[in-house]
Amino acid sequence: MAAELAIRDMGVSFTVYTSERNIDRDWPFDIIPRAISAVDWAQATQGLQQRSRALNRFIDDVYNNKKIFKDGIIPFDVVRDCPNYKPQCEGFSPRYGAWAHVCGTDLVRHQDGKFYVLEDNLRVPSGVSYMLENREVTKRVLPELFENYSIIPVDDYPTRLYETLAALSPRSVKRPCIVVLTPGIFNSAYFEHAFLARSMGVELVEGDDLFVDTDNQVFMRTVDGPERVDVIYRRIDEDFLDPEVFRPDSKIGVPGIMRAWRAQNVAIANAPGSGVADDKVIYSYVPDMIRYYLQEEPLINSVPTYLCMNADDRQYVLENIEKLVVKPANESGGYGLLVGPHGTVREHQKFRKLIEENPRNYIAQPTLQLSTAPTYINGEVKPRHLDLRPFILHGSDIWVTPGGLTRVALTEGSLVVNSSQGGGSKDTWIVETGQ
Amino acid sequence: MILLSRVAERLYWMSRYLERAEGMARVTNAYTHLIMDLPKGTEVEWGMLINIMGAKPTFESMGYNYTEQGTLKFIIASLDNASSISACIKAARENMRTTRDVLPHEIWETINELHLYCKETASQSISRRNRYEFLNQITARCQMLNGLVMTTLCRDHCYRFIKLGHLLERADINSRVLDVALASIASRQIENPAFDSLIWASLTQALGAMGTYRRAVGPMIDATSAINYLYKEPSSPRSILFCINGIRNDLKALKQHQKALDQADKIYQSIDQFDAQEMTAKQFHSFSDASQKAVSELNNCIYQIWFSAQHR
Repeated sequence: MAAELAIRDMGVSFTVYTSERNIDRDWPFDIIPRAISAVDWAQATQGLQQRSRALNRFIDDVYNNKKIFKDGIIPFDVVRDCPNYKPQCEGFSPRYGAWAHVCGTDLVRHQDGKFYVLEDNLRVPSGVSYMLENREVTKRVLPELFENYSIIPVDDYPTRLYETLAALSPRSVKRPCIVVLTPGIFNSAYFEHAFLARSMGVELVEGDDLFVDTDNQVFMRTVDGPERVDVIYRRIDEDFLDPEVFRPDSKIGVPGIMRAWRAQNVAIANAPGSGVADDKVIYSYVPDMIRYYLQEEPLINSVPTYLCMNADDRQYVLENIEKLVVKPANESGGYGLLVGPHGTVREHQKFRKLIEENPRNYIAQPTLQLSTAPTYINGEVKPRHLDLRPFILHGSDIWVTPGGLTRVALTEGSLVVNSSQGGGSKDTWIVETGQ
Repeated sequence: MILLSRVAERLYWMSRYLERAEGMARVTNAYTHLIMDLPKGTEVEWGMLINIMGAKPTFESMGYNYTEQGTLKFIIASLDNASSISACIKAARENMRTTRDVLPHEIWETINELHLYCKETASQSISRRNRYEFLNQITARCQMLNGLVMTTLCRDHCYRFIKLGHLLERADINSRVLDVALASIASRQIENPAFDSLIWASLTQALGAMGTYRRAVGPMIDATSAINYLYKEPSSPRSILFCINGIRNDLKALKQHQKALDQADKIYQSIDQFDAQEMTAKQFHSFSDASQKAVSELNNCIYQIWFSAQHR
């Protein structure tokens, strides 16, 4: 098919972790675009901006005043037990109070037609390069469609990202030195790291390329000598970021980078410690955060969530496991979750046991009727479930991508859309309906 | 333009590996032709190619035989041998995989195709029948990459490090080839010296300098004039002097170049003063040994100044 050829031409690939070795494979792409009306999207955008404001206020509060806990809105235990809570970040507040500068929020559309937030990815969300490539492919393969519809372009993302990052620079220089920090070629999203660095015209660096001097400034090693670095867009997990502070066995990090960050000599996006709000237990408190910090009602829905750490909720989950989706609180990428209605009796039993052993680590949600969209499967057009990951950039202001990355579960009836679990993707159109 | 030390090092090695693959392809091709021309009983051994690679210990410890098949398998297809054509192409591609963003897209595509071609055909190209086509393809495709570098790259640091790797590797290969060839000829005491010129013609051919040699010197070829030409003809890009001179020019455009430039100047002067006319085989061997060591020292200087984590 023409689209597959175009993808291979453009060299889009992603890596799936298997037990043997890393393989590059073409990311399955469905040529039929998914359309959302501009009016609906404007509402979702407001909801996402509001949510991002509240989440960043929360992270700042966690590491500083802890007001939300003192006022009894959220129990502090929840944060303390969260592996993504980093005590090393206590007492620090980055510029603009912005911690999660790049957030990928997963949305689904329920049968009521409304968007629901499934989760907020505040650590190192990926997928934006596929959003951009998908549009390129659609333009190549179906150019005629763009004559008849008014579709909001997406290709200014790298510019927006650059502006967001540049605004974080601790030095006020005309062109701050920004780098993209990657774990290297074997990372599943390496392609995206390289893509973003190239699109922004900045260097793609690995940990070894950077060093921190005794004045707590970060430099990169170039053939012309050390070059001062102002902003690091890090695509490595914070646990590996600085062996002086986090995992001492990390080979991909930069020793001393946390010192430089705390001394405000370098900005790191996303800020270390942001993951504390990425937890699925914390997720259930986001509506409360919005009311607490912003004195507003949430403009976008969350999915009702049962916290297995609460006895009543746990009881309900154990009794109704076959109706629910059970998720580990700290995994991403669709690993280790149970879709109750699709699970076997044995799997239900296994998850009951897991929950009882470690209730803090599990949450459950009702199984949503995810919306479907027409998808091209073996020469026929069939309905498949999908979700949507818009990207939210939060620096001196907040910007949301028009649309985002639509992921589609290619297996009939499946609700799991993750690329690592055999999902595919679609181009997403925000269409002006002219009303 | 900023160039990361790591990226510079990978570009440098990408270029060295490509030049090494091309050099081995040329030498192997010329050698195969030479073998066919020499009368039975006077052949130089296949082991000579292994010596050029400096891979004798690996070759013997891996249990390869000094037969045509064994040697050629080791040179063309073996991945145990880090200097085999297949291993070089693979390493060149690996080095480029993480630096492709600083290079034009066509270069990545071409190197990728070369890698695929090599992977698919190398193990079937040991026999004389297929060998010729394979070696020619490798040479031609490496040349294509050189052409792309020359016609599409900005003359910035990326280009300089690619060129440094390319020139340094060629200087290294040429001096190895001349050293091993002369040692082999000197030790054989051949009955029929008529074959000498055949061997030197073949060597000059192997190093890609035959055409220009004929035009500059004439059709007669002997050890002294061939060695002098391949060492120090300033106008031939195949001569060692030319390579070192190119390195000197590129080094000057880089910061902190003094130590490396001093080393390159030293090599340049010693070659400039060299004359094969006055030398015995033994003297020549110690000269070429010294110049190989000096080239390797130059490589170390480049590493210390621009690639190592210590440089700040």
